[in-house]
Amino acid sequence: MLAYIVRRVWQMVPTLFGVMLLLFVLFNWVGGDPSYILAGKNLSAEALAGIRQQLGLDLPLPQQFLIFMRQVLTLDFGTSWSTQQPVSALLHSRIGPSLLLTGSILLLGTVLAIAIAALVAYLRGSVTDRLVTLIATCAMSVSALVYIIAGQYWLAFKGGWFPIMGWSDSTLDNLLHYLPLPLLLGVIVGLAPDIRFYRSCFVEELGHDYVRTARAKGLSEPVIMLKHVLRNAMIPVVTSLMMSLPYLMMGAMLLETFFGIPGMGKEVVMAVERSDFPVIKAITIYIALATMLFNLLTDIVYKLIDPRVQLH
Amino acid sequence: MNPTPPLLSVRKLRVSFRDEHGHGAEAVKGISFDIPAGKTVALVGESGSGKSVTAMAITRLLPEHGCHIAADSEILFDGRNLLTASRRELRRLRGGDIAMVFQEPMSSLNPVYSVGEQIIETLMLHTRVGRKAAYQRAVALLKEVGLPTPDRKMSSYPHQLSGGQQQRVMIAMAIACEPKLLIADEPTTALDVTIQQQILQLLAGLQKKHGMAVLFISHDLELVGQFADEVVVMHHGSIHEHAPVQQIFEAPQDPYTKALLRCRPHLAQRPARLPVIKDFLGDSCYFEPPQRQRGYQADDRVILEVQGLCVDYHSRHGWFGGRHSQRAVDEVSFTLMRGRTLGIVGESGCGKSTLGLALMRLQQASVGRVLFEGEDMLALTPRQLRDYKRRIQIVFQNPYASLNPRFSVAQILTEPMLLHGIGCDAEERLQLAGDWLEHVGLPRKALAKYPHEFSGGQRQRIAIARCLTMHPEILICDESVSALDVSVQAQVLNLLQALQDELGLSYLFISHDLAVVKHLSDQVLVMQHGRCVELADADTLYAAPQHPYTRQLLDAIPQGWPHCIKPRVA
Amino acid sequence: MPHTSTTPPAAQHHHNSLTRIGWRRLRRDRIGFSALCIVGAYLLLALAAWSGLVASHWQDEVAHPYAPPTLFAGAAPHHVELNAADIDAADRRATSAAALDSSGATGLSASEDPLAADLAAAQQQSAQYRSTEQARADSLPLGADQRGRDVLQKLLQGSATSLQVGIAGALLALTIGTVLGALSGYFGGLLDDLLMWGYSVFTSVPDMLLLLAFAAVSGRGIGTVVLVMAFTSWTGTFRLMRAEFLKHKGREYVRAADAIGAGHGRRMFHHILPNVSHLLLVQFSMLTVALIKYEAILSFLGFGVGVTQVSWGAMLAEAPAELLQGYWWQMLAVTLCMSLLVTAFSLLSDSLRDALDPKVK
Repeated sequence: MLAYIVRRVWQMVPTLFGVMLLLFVLFNWVGGDPSYILAGKNLSAEALAGIRQQLGLDLPLPQQFLIFMRQVLTLDFGTSWSTQQPVSALLHSRIGPSLLLTGSILLLGTVLAIAIAALVAYLRGSVTDRLVTLIATCAMSVSALVYIIAGQYWLAFKGGWFPIMGWSDSTLDNLLHYLPLPLLLGVIVGLAPDIRFYRSCFVEELGHDYVRTARAKGLSEPVIMLKHVLRNAMIPVVTSLMMSLPYLMMGAMLLETFFGIPGMGKEVVMAVERSDFPVIKAITIYIALATMLFNLLTDIVYKLIDPRVQLH
Repeated sequence: MNPTPPLLSVRKLRVSFRDEHGHGAEAVKGISFDIPAGKTVALVGESGSGKSVTAMAITRLLPEHGCHIAADSEILFDGRNLLTASRRELRRLRGGDIAMVFQEPMSSLNPVYSVGEQIIETLMLHTRVGRKAAYQRAVALLKEVGLPTPDRKMSSYPHQLSGGQQQRVMIAMAIACEPKLLIADEPTTALDVTIQQQILQLLAGLQKKHGMAVLFISHDLELVGQFADEVVVMHHGSIHEHAPVQQIFEAPQDPYTKALLRCRPHLAQRPARLPVIKDFLGDSCYFEPPQRQRGYQADDRVILEVQGLCVDYHSRHGWFGGRHSQRAVDEVSFTLMRGRTLGIVGESGCGKSTLGLALMRLQQASVGRVLFEGEDMLALTPRQLRDYKRRIQIVFQNPYASLNPRFSVAQILTEPMLLHGIGCDAEERLQLAGDWLEHVGLPRKALAKYPHEFSGGQRQRIAIARCLTMHPEILICDESVSALDVSVQAQVLNLLQALQDELGLSYLFISHDLAVVKHLSDQVLVMQHGRCVELADADTLYAAPQHPYTRQLLDAIPQGWPHCIKPRVA
Repeated sequence: MPHTSTTPPAAQHHHNSLTRIGWRRLRRDRIGFSALCIVGAYLLLALAAWSGLVASHWQDEVAHPYAPPTLFAGAAPHHVELNAADIDAADRRATSAAALDSSGATGLSASEDPLAADLAAAQQQSAQYRSTEQARADSLPLGADQRGRDVLQKLLQGSATSLQVGIAGALLALTIGTVLGALSGYFGGLLDDLLMWGYSVFTSVPDMLLLLAFAAVSGRGIGTVVLVMAFTSWTGTFRLMRAEFLKHKGREYVRAADAIGAGHGRRMFHHILPNVSHLLLVQFSMLTVALIKYEAILSFLGFGVGVTQVSWGAMLAEAPAELLQGYWWQMLAVTLCMSLLVTAFSLLSDSLRDALDPKVK
């Protein structure tokens, strides 16, 4: 197992290199000369040259790439162009709120979706099943934006049940006061597609031969569902959980922006607005690393669920 | 008549399936039969005969949607009508009094639970035992079904066992609660012949020992002849004949039964043409055709010579993982004479199909030479190979997979001609395609149809016609008749024989079925683990097999009544 | 598929290709066919709007600011006539009060804003136009927005933009994904390693982040958005097609094609591609939905279509501030319009999946 993990971590190197290359091509080549953005109105030649020198933009591209690589390896991305804060310090303060929000959405959303999907798959073909599927299809079609705008307006602004926005330094205060509404909206946005997908996983598993064997043994339907089908269906479910991370990240980004939660998502939006390249690059590297680690974790979870999986 | 009532009696069972537009198709058309306690009844029929549907109806495992059982049907088990039993009652019977063994052991076991857990589950469900007692009992059961090291097998997962072992586990699970009736639905079809014989012996022994009744479902009349007390022959949803096994084999009454018995090739005979069902259904009497002599003759010319052919499979693990290679074909050599047939037999995984693919360079060979009239095919450049490719063609096993489902028959047949520049324009090619289609026994108007509109046998004819359009000299038949029902198999074998006589084709006939190989082959090559273990004239090999593996294979061929299995279970 | 619809079904009764069977099955599926009709209607509308037949005057200020929908003319909150500066000021107050508007958080003050001068000029220009205006309507079928533009016209134009972005992006992404996936799955080996490396690079960064990163370096406008979306969403198709080509290249019908002498290109695109085309159709339909949603979010955040264009996302961006003042119609109209299309597309995906599945006969 340890050897496997070491090998997998080693295999991340080319991927990380690829992400760096992609970012470098994007921001140092496609993105053009950022000194125009930084110089603002002072477009004098000296000012531009000064900025270029400061950023190392006058160096040849391979050398610039080496500098970027050193930044990634030391996780030191210099200072933000807009706030002049060190990027790493900025991001470290942003990770906590993001993790709290996305983690709680992931946990609550998955548990709810699996429970509902299993129930609906068990009742497949019934009125309840069709109704839930139809509602889920319609609910999926509404943009996440609408849920958030409407939720914030009616539940917080009109209803007054939740604070409209905000975040505090105390985790307890956040959990009790500021988190519930973003959490609720995040779960609602993710629930419909998850239910639909998990239901199809369960229904597909129900068509397999081993389910017939379980019935021939005389097991009751609930036992078949909860013991035999659930564990097999977890294999695609875990895959989709991993795949849903990007969407979660997107949802969290909107939620953070709307509710003023100082997380990575909000930071990204602001950085893109201000063309703050170092911050975007740093966040992308961080998230890519996290995604790769999460992939590794998923493979290990596979091993726990499915004895056929061989880690090599 | 039997004074005691039968254990199970099926009365006027009628099952129909509705497709998506509500058209009903009757799969079982009002059949009735009994299973006496402690006896083995075999349900025999070709695909679509309704035999499996009957078995599923008994245990009420048919899908709930789209399937309808007529109201006046009855299935009485110990006097209770199963068709009206409550779910609760059914659950108690299933796995308890009525147990089932299915065709595909791999998919029938839950892949994520250990073998022991799955047996213990059944035991704890139907008998009042604790987990510890159930564990002990499960080990005893695994021992009873002949698994080596049953203690360790308890914690194995299904994928860690071989097909035969998986089926033994399924049987252990089925007999766990001492059922009165065991339903075995084609339990050996997915297994190799030697394993099939072992499983059959196991079932026969267990049946005697536990005094169960067995409903044995199979497509193979010879197989059930060794094992059953009574045989029920089904065709198109109705029963054609129901008689004790001796009568079925010695004095069959129904023409369909007669045909089933005769159209399968036998080891003892080699008629010039196999009888087909039509021969028995008409009024005219069936006349035995003359026997055919086989074997390479002194004046035969060599068309293909294979020398020391090896094929390796490489697998890699990840970017930095090591390479693994496995030898699938190991130093195989043989010669094929013009106009003759070389049979290649072996069990699954012995490398016989890989050998066929390597000869056509569809699979890269590692070492060796394939001399086609003296020219080494393996050394040719792709450009030079093109012309040789036309002269050596292949017919695959699965008629449902070997035709492109998006192409019409016309497209399928004209594409090879187009690629090899046969025929000067599209019109002529279409004309030629129609000719070939008629040659293989299909009407010309079939050109406009698509593969899914044909039966398995017809598709195999189309696949043969596709090869013939290129005027090949060698035809490789890779299990080409194995997926077909026996009656269709006879027709396709007759077609192959007729084509060889007419066009002088040379065949490489690859199959796991020794009887079929004997029927068609002049020489036979026996393969095991990628190696050639025996190569001899067909008659010599079958009469006096030299290698123990060949003898083992020959012993495993089902011989039908009266070669009854003598139970060897203690 | 449309060409099959024109052939008379009776003439084709006996010899049915799988495509034709699938089409007929779709025709029989009431939900699927209705969904297809709805999607078709949207496409027609979008074409009409794009070619200028309808909604070409969506930028005209034809009604009073925030004129209510005709049906709710009485019940809607009353709007006080203000001049442009007042509205801007009120807007800013509302925004800073509730900070609902995300784009308000840019933190750029007017002195830093390099576009301030241009904007002022543009406002003066628009003020000139405003002086020559015609009589303004008190209510419109779907109401009016802050500047008195017709929401219906904006909606039509926005639908055209969103559909155009979704479909063009999906087609481009599908093409990239299919070609690369086919090469990777069919040939394997070093090429597969290389393409899989590219795949792992692109999938290790979440779509939305990648979209934003691309958006940060590229300009605005429909063309850019389409390109950016295609570059970030080809991975799903790649994965699917790679697996399919890997599976199909070992199938007997492809081996048979090899045996009769068909070359690699012919096997890949003449034999295998038609057999996976039904998956591509489903993938296209799902991808279009995803991209339409992405476009809405991108435009909402201000990184999407340009300022002179309107899309559903751009319209939703105006919603938070309007909602605060009680003007709900623009948001409702966009939500319904978008939901209908997305629902239809989703149902169509489901129906296509069932209807085109070659395993079901």
